[in-house]
Amino acid sequence: MNTFLNKVFLLRNTRALVCAASSVQSQVVTTQMPLGVLLTNRQYRSMPTHGIGRYRHLLPKVSPKKKKDKIQAKAIKAATATEFGVFNVCVSGYDMTLVEHYSQYIHNLCSHLDIKVDECFALPTKSTEVMMMQEQSTKMYVDGVLKTHERVVQISEMKATLFPILAEVLLKNQPEGVQLCVKQHKEADYQARFKTRPELEGLIAKINN
Amino acid sequence: MAAPFTRVYRPFWRIITTTKSNRGVRNVSYTSQQWSAQNVKTAGAASPWALHGAVCVQRLPVVTQDRSPIEEEFMELMQKMEFERSLLADHELKLLDDAALMSRKQEGDYDSDEEDDYRDKDIVTAQDLEDIWEQKLKDFQPALRSQGNDQKDASSSERCLADSLILLVKKDVGSQKLWLLPQIQWQMGETLRQTAERALASLPGADLKATFLGNAPCGFYKYKYPKDIQKEGSVGAKVFFFKAVLSSHKHLPLEKNSFAWVKKDELQDFLKPEYLKQVRRFIMAL
Repeated sequence: MNTFLNKVFLLRNTRALVCAASSVQSQVVTTQMPLGVLLTNRQYRSMPTHGIGRYRHLLPKVSPKKKKDKIQAKAIKAATATEFGVFNVCVSGYDMTLVEHYSQYIHNLCSHLDIKVDECFALPTKSTEVMMMQEQSTKMYVDGVLKTHERVVQISEMKATLFPILAEVLLKNQPEGVQLCVKQHKEADYQARFKTRPELEGLIAKINN
Repeated sequence: MAAPFTRVYRPFWRIITTTKSNRGVRNVSYTSQQWSAQNVKTAGAASPWALHGAVCVQRLPVVTQDRSPIEEEFMELMQKMEFERSLLADHELKLLDDAALMSRKQEGDYDSDEEDDYRDKDIVTAQDLEDIWEQKLKDFQPALRSQGNDQKDASSSERCLADSLILLVKKDVGSQKLWLLPQIQWQMGETLRQTAERALASLPGADLKATFLGNAPCGFYKYKYPKDIQKEGSVGAKVFFFKAVLSSHKHLPLEKNSFAWVKKDELQDFLKPEYLKQVRRFIMAL
């Protein structure tokens, strides 16, 4: 008897909850009507906590992202009298941990000093084979493979008065075995990052010929 | 009173590349790609302050600084942790394989045809390779971290390889000989940075190549001439300091009494207190 009553009580509770949920949903759905239409349904219900979990209306509107987004080449800003344009700080070396940590250090330092960092990317690793001449023979054998890692931090709109300080800090904190290079950013540098497309170039050559 | 030096300057692009060198100073080379003409505004009335451009040439540290005991302990701990977490490398796997092969060969009923991956007998096993490498390492002599002449010879730029050193010059100022950063008077028609470059180039007996770090001066010092020298037109001098980084690591040794390469904390032994106060502000002891 007790269990039967409990079950009935439970069923009634769940039904009440389901009714409440559906009514809440209907409220939510109907409030998203355009403003021109007369709103006949009430925004409130008797429960003071009505609509307590509503958050979707607070989120920023997200436009559906297109799958294929062509990466546009950013226009390279020119230098002005007091600011540099866009320049690349290249860090290269054989030891990857040192190179990566140093480039991360540069990035963090720039963001701490409010210097705008456009991009921070890595260039492909270059492998160098060290060949040694064998003793008492003319054959060369592979002694080892050295990999050169390179990381680039691209900085834009930097004040010219701040640059000597930044350069000095970078030079003083440069680890052993890591080379630092500061270059102006050119279109050719940007294009060098892309892979060549031989079929496309072949077709273009055919069209031109 | 408007000082007659350039107001409008264009930053020019440079390629600063550093390559490691085993002793002395790291190579810092400089290439300028654009240099647009400088506008020099000449003031109407000459100011009573003479302008000087000075250069603060730094030899950057060549080796890393020694670790403090806590850093040493921590580094050991981290290395131990990394070693325990790491996986075996190809070479180490090969060593284990070779050792297993050896132990199999020692047994009585060994049949070399039963080997899984048949490879022609390696002439050079992994252990042999390791021995060859160890031998090569023993033959390699790394350069010394310190030349041993740290305290005595202040004019050598090879001292204190772990710190950055600044060049000081002994100059006659008025009647006394003072230790200063190299400075020279500004001439009409040149930028202050060119004055600083001239100051570096005109040091007697020193052929130093340095890369200047920017067009903007890093520090400033002004002093009045003593009363007997002060005339109507000149009250004193203003010195603007520019920072530069030593780029050539081969230069002739400098005379002991007129040149000195000092660390930041040794500066107080050489410079006057007022001068020191201004100079200290822009020298970083990192």
